[in-house]
Amino acid sequence: MSERPAFLRALARALAGPKRALRSRSEYALRLAAMRRLARRYPQRATRSALPEPGRMWSWVFVPLYRSVPWQARRRAMRALRMTARGWPEAPRRFREPWRPAGSGAQAPQRTEADRAPDEG
Amino acid sequence: MSERLIVIGGGAAGTAAATTARRVAPQLHVSVFSEFPDIAYSPCGIPYAHGREIPEFKALFLSTVQRYVEEGLDMRMETTVTDIDLDRRTITARNKHEGFDRLILCTGFLWEQPDVPGSNLEGLHYVKDIRRAIEFDRELERMKRAVVIGGMWLGVEMSGALARRGLEVQFIDEGPWLLSELVDPDVAAPAQEALERLGVAVRMGTRLEAFEGSGGRVRAVATSAGELECDVAVICLHKLPNTTLPRAAGLELGSTGAVVVDDHMRTSAEGVWAAGDVVEVPHGLTMLPISGLTGSHAYAQGRVAGANAAGEERTYDPVWIPWGFMAGDYTIGGFSIGETLAEALGIPYVLAKGVGVSRARYYPGAVRTHVKLLAEPDTLRLIGAQLHGGEGIKERCDFLAFAAARGVTLDDLAWMENIYSPPIGALYEPIQIAAQNGLAELRDKGSGGAAGGVASGAAASPAGAGAPASGAAG
Repeated sequence: MSERPAFLRALARALAGPKRALRSRSEYALRLAAMRRLARRYPQRATRSALPEPGRMWSWVFVPLYRSVPWQARRRAMRALRMTARGWPEAPRRFREPWRPAGSGAQAPQRTEADRAPDEG
Repeated sequence: MSERLIVIGGGAAGTAAATTARRVAPQLHVSVFSEFPDIAYSPCGIPYAHGREIPEFKALFLSTVQRYVEEGLDMRMETTVTDIDLDRRTITARNKHEGFDRLILCTGFLWEQPDVPGSNLEGLHYVKDIRRAIEFDRELERMKRAVVIGGMWLGVEMSGALARRGLEVQFIDEGPWLLSELVDPDVAAPAQEALERLGVAVRMGTRLEAFEGSGGRVRAVATSAGELECDVAVICLHKLPNTTLPRAAGLELGSTGAVVVDDHMRTSAEGVWAAGDVVEVPHGLTMLPISGLTGSHAYAQGRVAGANAAGEERTYDPVWIPWGFMAGDYTIGGFSIGETLAEALGIPYVLAKGVGVSRARYYPGAVRTHVKLLAEPDTLRLIGAQLHGGEGIKERCDFLAFAAARGVTLDDLAWMENIYSPPIGALYEPIQIAAQNGLAELRDKGSGGAAGGVASGAAASPAGAGAPASGAAG
C-alpha cells in the first residue's frame, strides 16, 4: 500500500472512529429492518426480536432513504465516498492466469515455495 | 548479516506467514513472538473436544514449537510485544527493544464482552486459548447447567457440545431466529430443531440483562425471559480485531475497526504487512471491507503476507466467504450473502430453491439437501447461497463460492455435470435442481433472466414448477 502524506494519515486516524461508528449504526439499522421483512416472509420461523431499536432517525429516515436509491447508484456512491476497499482491484469474476514454466516468456507468475501445500490442518 | 522479519502472533495467520517467509527466503531471519506457550493447534476443534466427539485435546495440536525451531524459526513463546516503533524499526518485548527490517502483524482478535452488570464474575467462559479450554474441560466434570450467550456460530457449536457432554444447556440470543445476523430464518429453523433434539433449550428473542453472582462466581443469568440458573456462562459474541498494537503504532484502521491492508496484505506503513483477524478485506460482491473471517482465511492471508515480506509479489483476492458448521447433528452452510443480508444491503436478487438427496434415494443414509441460491436479476450470475442438510454441505458451499467468484450463472448450474454414484451422489444434483427450479419460475413469470425486471426480494418461490421439482429421482 502506498504511503500517504502525514496530514492525510492524521486525518484518516481522526476520522477512523466516527467512520466506524457510522458504519456500525447504519448497518445495524439496515439489518434490523431486513430481519423484520424476513420475519414477515417466514412467519413460522421467526420470533419477536429483543434487539434494541436503533432510534427513529435511523429507522424512519435513514433506512427508507437508503432503500429508495437503486443498488447500482448506491454502489457508485459508496465507491465515490471511499467506503469500499482501497488498494484492491474490483473482483474480476474470472479465472486466474494459468501456470507456465520458467523461461517460456510468459508473464504468468512462477510457482515457488509459497505454493507448497501446508501440512494437514 | 541477513535481514530480520518479525511476526507478531502465533495463530493461523502468524504461523503461516512465518513458515512461508522462511521457505521462500531461507536466508531471512524470522522471529515469531507469541504471548501463548503453544503453537499450531486448532482452536476451532475445541467445542468438539468438550463434546467428546474428539476424544482428547492433544489431538488438536498439529505441531510443536520445537518443530518450528528445527525449521529455522526463532520462536519467542510467552513473550508479549508491548510496543512497536515504526520510525526506529523496533519492537519492545520483556522491556527489551529488538530491531526488524520487515514486520508482519497477526495479532488476531478479542471477544466482545457483554456490557451488563456482573461481567467481571468468575465462571464466565470465553473460548479461545487451548490451555484454558483444557482447564475448563476438567471443570465441566463438576458442572450441571450452562447458559450459552450469543448468536454467533461458536455459540451454536458450544451449545451442542455441552449438551452432548450431558449438561443442561440454555442458549439465549436477542435475535428473532438462530444466527440471525448471518443465516436466513428458513435455514436457521432446522438448525434450531437439531439443537433442541440434543436437549438444548433455545431461547431466541431473549435479552441478557445481568450476571448474578454468589461468592464472586456466577450462579445465574438474568434475562428478559427470567433468571436462568447456571454453573457457567459461555459467552460467544462477536470477534473484535485486536488492534491495540497497530493502533498505537499509527497504522491506518478501517471502517470495521480492523487494520487496512491492500491486496498484497501491505498496511499503511512501509515494510509492514498484516493478516488474519486483525485486518479487513473486501467482500467480492460489494467490495465493502469486512473482518473477523475464518481460520482458513487467516491461514491464506498469512501465506500471502509471508511470501510478500520475503520478496515475492503475491495477491489475495476479495473474499466470497464459504462458511458452514454443525448445529447438533445437522449441517448448515452458505457463502457470500443470504436473503437477510441482501435485503439489508438492498441488493436486488432472484431466488432459486430446490431440495435434493445426498445419495441415491434408495441407498441407506440418503438425506435431504436443501439449496437456496441468490442471483443477480439481470445477468443471473450467482451472488450467494445458503444450504442445509445432513452431508455434503461443506463441499457444495466451497464449490459455489469458487464458482460465484468466477462469474457462474444459474444457467451454468442448471446444466452442470454431476457425479451419479448411489453411495455418494444422486442422479440429480441438489444445486442443479435449485437452479432449474429458479429458471423455470422466472420463465413462468415471463422474466427470462436477461430480460430482468425482478426487483429486490421479489423472489422466485421454491415451489418447484418445472424441471426436476424434487430431487427424489436417482
